[in-house]
Amino acid sequence: MKKSLTMLLSLIFVTSALLTGCGSNNNTANNAEGDATATNGANATNAVATEEPVSTEPFEMTIRHTQVGADKQKRLAILEDVVGKVQAEVPGLTFKLDGVDSDVNRKEKLRGEMAAGNPPEIFDLFGSPDSKIYAKESKLLDLTPILEELGIKDKFSNLDPFTYEGKIYGLPIGGSGEGFFYNKEYYASKGWQAPTTFAELEKQLAEIKADGKVPLAGASKAGWVPLMLANHLWSRYAGPDVTVKFATGEAKWSDPDVIKGFAKYKEWIDKGYFKKGELGFEYAEYTTQFTSGEAILMYDGTWKSSVFKAGQSGEGLIGKVGFFNIPAVDGGVGDQTALMRDVNNGYGFSASAEKDPRQLAAVKSFIKNMFNEEMQLRGLVEDGVLPAMKIDQAVLTANITDDLMSEIVGVLNNSKSSFPAFDSLVQADVTTEISNIQIQKLIGGQTTPEKMGAALQKIQEEANAAVE
Amino acid sequence: MNKALRNPLVFTLFIIPGLILFLMFFIYPIFSSIYYSFTSWNGVSDTVKYTGLTNFKKAFGDERFWISVKNNGWFILFSICIQVPLIVFFSLLIANVKKLKGLYKTAVFMPSIMSTAVIGILWGFIYEPNIGLFNKLLGLVGIEPIYWLSDERFAMLSILITNAWQWTGFYIVMVLAAILSIPGELDEAAAIDGATGFQRATRITLPLIVPIISVVIMLSIAGAMKAADIVIVMTKGGPAGSTEVMATYMIKYAITNFKYGYGNSIAVLIFMFTLVVTALYQLLVARRTERIEY
Repeated sequence: MKKSLTMLLSLIFVTSALLTGCGSNNNTANNAEGDATATNGANATNAVATEEPVSTEPFEMTIRHTQVGADKQKRLAILEDVVGKVQAEVPGLTFKLDGVDSDVNRKEKLRGEMAAGNPPEIFDLFGSPDSKIYAKESKLLDLTPILEELGIKDKFSNLDPFTYEGKIYGLPIGGSGEGFFYNKEYYASKGWQAPTTFAELEKQLAEIKADGKVPLAGASKAGWVPLMLANHLWSRYAGPDVTVKFATGEAKWSDPDVIKGFAKYKEWIDKGYFKKGELGFEYAEYTTQFTSGEAILMYDGTWKSSVFKAGQSGEGLIGKVGFFNIPAVDGGVGDQTALMRDVNNGYGFSASAEKDPRQLAAVKSFIKNMFNEEMQLRGLVEDGVLPAMKIDQAVLTANITDDLMSEIVGVLNNSKSSFPAFDSLVQADVTTEISNIQIQKLIGGQTTPEKMGAALQKIQEEANAAVE
Repeated sequence: MNKALRNPLVFTLFIIPGLILFLMFFIYPIFSSIYYSFTSWNGVSDTVKYTGLTNFKKAFGDERFWISVKNNGWFILFSICIQVPLIVFFSLLIANVKKLKGLYKTAVFMPSIMSTAVIGILWGFIYEPNIGLFNKLLGLVGIEPIYWLSDERFAMLSILITNAWQWTGFYIVMVLAAILSIPGELDEAAAIDGATGFQRATRITLPLIVPIISVVIMLSIAGAMKAADIVIVMTKGGPAGSTEVMATYMIKYAITNFKYGYGNSIAVLIFMFTLVVTALYQLLVARRTERIEY
């Protein structure tokens, strides 16, 4: 009797444990089905009774954003305002905001969700190459018909990073340009202006060095930081369109003009223009070197302008920071005013939204409310993010009250063309090689510009062959 | 009840939940990883293409992979040759202090409960070239600043020191527990016979804690093979890939580049290497250690 009872209890325990372990999803699914049945039933009843076409039943959508941390509060406020508007427009909709660190979202969370087939309905998306890989696997919603319907398809400055086989799969939230931020107070004390020639720039760097100051901020623990300037230099010497030609085989990393760019960077390293020990410093220290007055110039993206606002780490430099483009180099190829500009950060939408009319309506409303002149101007004024959409110059000028931003916009207007950063143009293997190995070897004195070019070209050819 | 538990059917029923969890969270991921290691899966696609041994050939032919293997080797050597002797030394010291033993135990254990990110920041200050503690001390004796984390010659050593600092306390507490469980009579008898403190430590205590030292070495080897966080926090594998270990190589060269098939092959290699190293240690060293009975 005892034995049978024990057996029975054991069986009940094991069975219940198994059912508990395996049952939750089914229960959810069943509940969802039950709810759906009930909802459908209710809808059917309502439809008959009131003929109401739009369901007001509550439903939830998730927005994965990367506006986390104190520096991104203004950008988060803009998103929250959009969320409020969309919820008011779409009956029954509740947005769940899921804030995740940008790098974690891009390289881990979103990739895992894409592989599992359950990404959030709306999410922060990196343009090239990420959006193209997801689009190729049909994970992203084709936005082309929505943009046509809303009449904003041609309102964006550049949608290339989010375009795959002629269809648009994501929208950039803002843009950025890269150039030199300089300490105006120091420049004024020397009676200098922003350099207009490359020789003048180099003369200033030499004099800053002689003055016992650090001419250029340096923090190269992450390779992309020094590569911002290096990319601009090789594009000055070899032409703004040279990088795009690496992947097609029309140009080589080992071409003499490209090597000139590496050599100039190396020359500045050897002359001690960058902060010593830069390979051990994080990006955050890059800004600190400039805001503390230790470094007089800092080559960075326009997004950095948000630091020089009240309440931010560069508050002490408000009104004392200027911005200029790299001047023309002697013997440089192509447009010597070309500015490195990117529109790689934006939003993407899950392909699953297409199957649900209410989700699709929410996506349309989100795009309508987020991607318009008002929000783009708010991003510019409040957060220092350049508009990704075309905005009338008069409107732009009228809205900018910040001196630094005015200077940045002036630089943008004076550049006749632009080119994207290398990492959106070459294969991932090449990006890894130059970011993690070659640029750090150049800085550390373990390679020469020529050897660097040859090493990169070898990886480039392997990557090109793999594509073929 | 006891009789019932001897019944194979009841026994089986009780182990089924545990077995299912084991299969789900241990066996399945291993086999899944092995499966993907033979493919060129990009981590997103619904279809996977079988590529045979291509990923493994690529890894074995990549100089950077071997640099990362070598760095894992440095982790193991540093653990066994430097860290373990220090662990034993400090354990013996703490075991013999008369006052504030609890304080010492807590103090040495503290780093192991701290997040690696915090430790990275903390040691980042110590290694800071201009205001860091190490360079300040070196400056006192007229030595020029060393760029600990940005100089290829010192970066790996800096990581090894930090990693040892983080985990030494954890192992000290383990060894200390073994020392304190040795019956006091053995030590007292030796003291009465005229043995010095050093003789008692080396001739009595040390031989009796060999099994736990063996466990510490095993855990150190396993820890060294999967090291990643401390490298990411301190150098990101740089400068120029000189501090890359297998796990960071896997992340950098495979996972972030949408090469999950290749990443899985590196994961399998890490698993295999760890298995071989620990098996060799078990066969050559640990099994020869006599069991201790008091």
